Amino acid sequence: MYSFINVFGLAVGLASCILIGLYIADELSYDKFNANSSRLVRVSAEEGHDGNAEPVGVTGTKAGPQLKRTFSFVEDYARVINSSRVVKYKDKLYTEKRVLYADAPFFKMFSFNLTGGNPATALTNPNTVVLTKTMANKYFGNEDPVGKTLNFGTRGDYIVTGVCDDAPGNSQIRFDFVASFSSLPVYKTEEYWSANYITYLLVRAQTDIAAAAKQVDNYMRTAVGKELGMTGGDYLTYHLEPLLSVHLNSKAEGLEPNGNINYIYIMFAIGLLILIIACINYTNLATAQSATRLGEIGMRKVMGAQRWQLFTQFVGESGLITFIALVLALVISITLLPLFNSITGKALTANTLIAPMPILGMLALSVAVSFIACVYPAFILSGTGLSKILKTGFSFSRSGNGLRKTLIVAQFVISVFLIIATIVVQDQLHYMQNKNLGYDKEHVLVLPLDNTSLNNYDAYKSGLKQIPGVENVASAYETPTNIGWGDKIKKTGDAGDKGISINALPADLDFINTMKIPIIAGSNFTRADFAGMDTSNDHKNYRYTFIINETAAKQLGYKPEEAINKTIYKNNPGIVKAVVKDFHFTSMHETIKPLVIFLEDRMLYSTFIRVNSPDVSATINKIGVYWKTRVPNRPFEYHFLDEDYNRLYKAEQKTASIFSLFAGTALILACLGLFGLAAFTTIQRTKEIGVRKVLGAGTVTIVNLLCREFLQLVTIAFVIAAPVAWTASNKWLQDFAYRINISWVIFFVAGISVVIVTLATVGYHAIKAALSNPVNALRSE
Amino acid sequence: MIELKHVSKWITVGGVRTFLLKDVNLTIKEGEFVSIMGPSGSGKSTLLNVMGMLDEFDEGEYNFLHEAVHKLKEKHRSALYKKYIGFVFQAYHLIDELTVYENIETPLIYSDSKTGERKAIVADILDRFQIVGKKDLFPTQLSGGQQQLVGIARALVGKPKLILADEPTGNLNSKQGEEIMDLFKKLNQEDGVTIIQVTHSEKNAEYGSRIIHLLDGRIERIEEK
Repeated sequence: MYSFINVFGLAVGLASCILIGLYIADELSYDKFNANSSRLVRVSAEEGHDGNAEPVGVTGTKAGPQLKRTFSFVEDYARVINSSRVVKYKDKLYTEKRVLYADAPFFKMFSFNLTGGNPATALTNPNTVVLTKTMANKYFGNEDPVGKTLNFGTRGDYIVTGVCDDAPGNSQIRFDFVASFSSLPVYKTEEYWSANYITYLLVRAQTDIAAAAKQVDNYMRTAVGKELGMTGGDYLTYHLEPLLSVHLNSKAEGLEPNGNINYIYIMFAIGLLILIIACINYTNLATAQSATRLGEIGMRKVMGAQRWQLFTQFVGESGLITFIALVLALVISITLLPLFNSITGKALTANTLIAPMPILGMLALSVAVSFIACVYPAFILSGTGLSKILKTGFSFSRSGNGLRKTLIVAQFVISVFLIIATIVVQDQLHYMQNKNLGYDKEHVLVLPLDNTSLNNYDAYKSGLKQIPGVENVASAYETPTNIGWGDKIKKTGDAGDKGISINALPADLDFINTMKIPIIAGSNFTRADFAGMDTSNDHKNYRYTFIINETAAKQLGYKPEEAINKTIYKNNPGIVKAVVKDFHFTSMHETIKPLVIFLEDRMLYSTFIRVNSPDVSATINKIGVYWKTRVPNRPFEYHFLDEDYNRLYKAEQKTASIFSLFAGTALILACLGLFGLAAFTTIQRTKEIGVRKVLGAGTVTIVNLLCREFLQLVTIAFVIAAPVAWTASNKWLQDFAYRINISWVIFFVAGISVVIVTLATVGYHAIKAALSNPVNALRSE
Repeated sequence: MIELKHVSKWITVGGVRTFLLKDVNLTIKEGEFVSIMGPSGSGKSTLLNVMGMLDEFDEGEYNFLHEAVHKLKEKHRSALYKKYIGFVFQAYHLIDELTVYENIETPLIYSDSKTGERKAIVADILDRFQIVGKKDLFPTQLSGGQQQLVGIARALVGKPKLILADEPTGNLNSKQGEEIMDLFKKLNQEDGVTIIQVTHSEKNAEYGSRIIHLLDGRIERIEEK
């Protein structure tokens, strides 16, 4: 039985290491497939005023071309932007969310393996597009797509100029289509503002990127600053990020979510910890088990075995066990791969494992483990004095006990730490998901707002409202779960660069009501407010209507009631119609910032439908039917607002799942170790238990006696782990503006669960021993 | 004190019944000093364990101080032997992690006596056996004879009426063995403690007033002195 526990425990430990190793290898390999990777650079922008300076991964259209013209180290550039397009070919009609627009040098700079087309010219002309192999299959089946035409709805027809490989999983640029940047109207103009494009540069070989970055920074702050008329503390500058450092180290998000070098460290630490626990188990059980083999050892020595021979024998045996554990670990890893993928959001396959490098790595790992874990027991065993063994049965109780106890404590320190960390992460996640956001995000359907519907907006809206089950309908520029539009508001009398930075959301008449945002002063938009939106004469006489949140009012220096009917300026003037209660419009990593919602009728891209019906799916069906009558050229695709919200916390969800998984694993391993060790200790004390029973000890007394020692160990472990866990948790929580308090309940739960588990594990053996017949114990002679 | 009537104990291995004790009839009065002898496997230790209520039997009756032991529940039985019986083993069976003092004290802890009382009783016994100076040593620091002495002290600390000794001098040299046997004699004659010992040695058996010879689980003959 001990062998089974040993092999299984080791296998679980190794499997964890394998999976974590895969994860780390994948993260570290991002973008390395590009042949030019050492020469590729991403431009990130930093715009500063009033001391706000967050780097962003996007620039205006002028960045790329201007840098190439100004600096000789720039060999070429490519701007990319992701778009959603409705794509049609014959009877196939889909909304494609990953249509990338890129400048012509794209396929020359990046290694996406373009076939059936010329990388130099595939994206030169407007209205040309390259498909990935999967897309080619999806729309054209086995036909050759090159030369054929795809229809991009209102954007016109595009000619297919090539097919490329699907973008690999470990790439910061992923797409289904790459269309030429020259197809876009903005191609004709160059400007620094309207930062919506990711700019990549290909620098010449031997360029010192750090020095180049300094030159660029200098240029932007001086020459370009002057060109843009920036004064005072305002500036716009660019940073050059080497391609390979972006994924793990950059704070600015790109097309694909970044990883985080910190997570790599955390995962590595977890893997190491689990491996340590597994090795500890192995060592403990091996030393314990060897006590039962003393007779064999004694005999071998009598028959002439020398110490080194015995040592080699034990090392060999443990090597075999480790190897078996490794094979088992491989099986476990491959079986658990889908689950692991779903937790980490990766697409790792078994093929990644069964390749020469990984296999060598695993063999090395298992050799290291078997050596580390079994050196000590083998050493002890082979050195045990012969006469000692044969005389009265070697009492193992003294030697090695101190080490074993320390190892058990270490295991439980790790387990307690992981349990506390898991509970903290889960609690925070739960808190964020359920916190009152300040508006009602439940049961709200989100639909894209098509141009044709926007042109007949009132009719479209009232049609939707008439559907039974629909409570209210509104539209806005983007989803309120994550408002990204940054802007500036000035008061009357603010000169130059004074004013507050705010976020802004264009919205329609019914937005406030539909989202159920409480108004604390003033009143909602009315139709009359449209009168001021005079777009003639280049917006000279345009007047906005604003609704601001409490924080904005405060920063402008007004109490909520005071702000009503005051005039503020977002370039053009507008009055404040209402002040609404602060609500969360971004993730809880940040405090609620000032926000201005302004009435709009053109820049609306999403429609929000509040559904209030006992049969939600029936209502959705009816909405779908309505959609098909109004927007036949677009597929009906919807999602719920709370899904949008949850996506904000994908990283935290991932963390929570990973911690849960590995905390569970660590605890199981620690228990296995404890189980084996408790079994051994109990057997070891059989004689003592028998004597005590004869002397009159009751069952309860014996159980207490046996459990007491282990409970002490676990308590020590808890005392060590708790402060460490508290510190680490606090550090992690500092990242959130809105966070839970680490209450004593968490520690209590963690402590109690560990104690209960220990009692159950040890108690099983203790009770068994306490109930046994003392005669059997004493029958040694 | 002890009445065994038609006591038998057997084990069944693969359908074949092997008797450890076969139809044992035995009466031992208080204050006797009895020796049990026989070749290996004759059931000496088994008989001792049965008399000490450590082991059960399959057939027959056992009355201890007029109580029908075979009818008693485990709890009652253990209370009985805790109070009246002390055990001395061939291998001493001291607890290595405890000092001499603590070893001797252990039975008192399990019989719920107060701390003050315990201290007094243990001090008394240490004095009587003249091992006061050794009370803080560990068993591994004592010689075989001294360890057995501690074992006997431990058996006596609860003031039992009966001492069951399983080859008490088996691990001792002749001088140490003699000392132990003299001690038993003294206990029997001066304190009236009933002593039943299992022994291989003819010499030791002489100390008793009766010798019971066992063979293959049966009483072969009883020798009176």
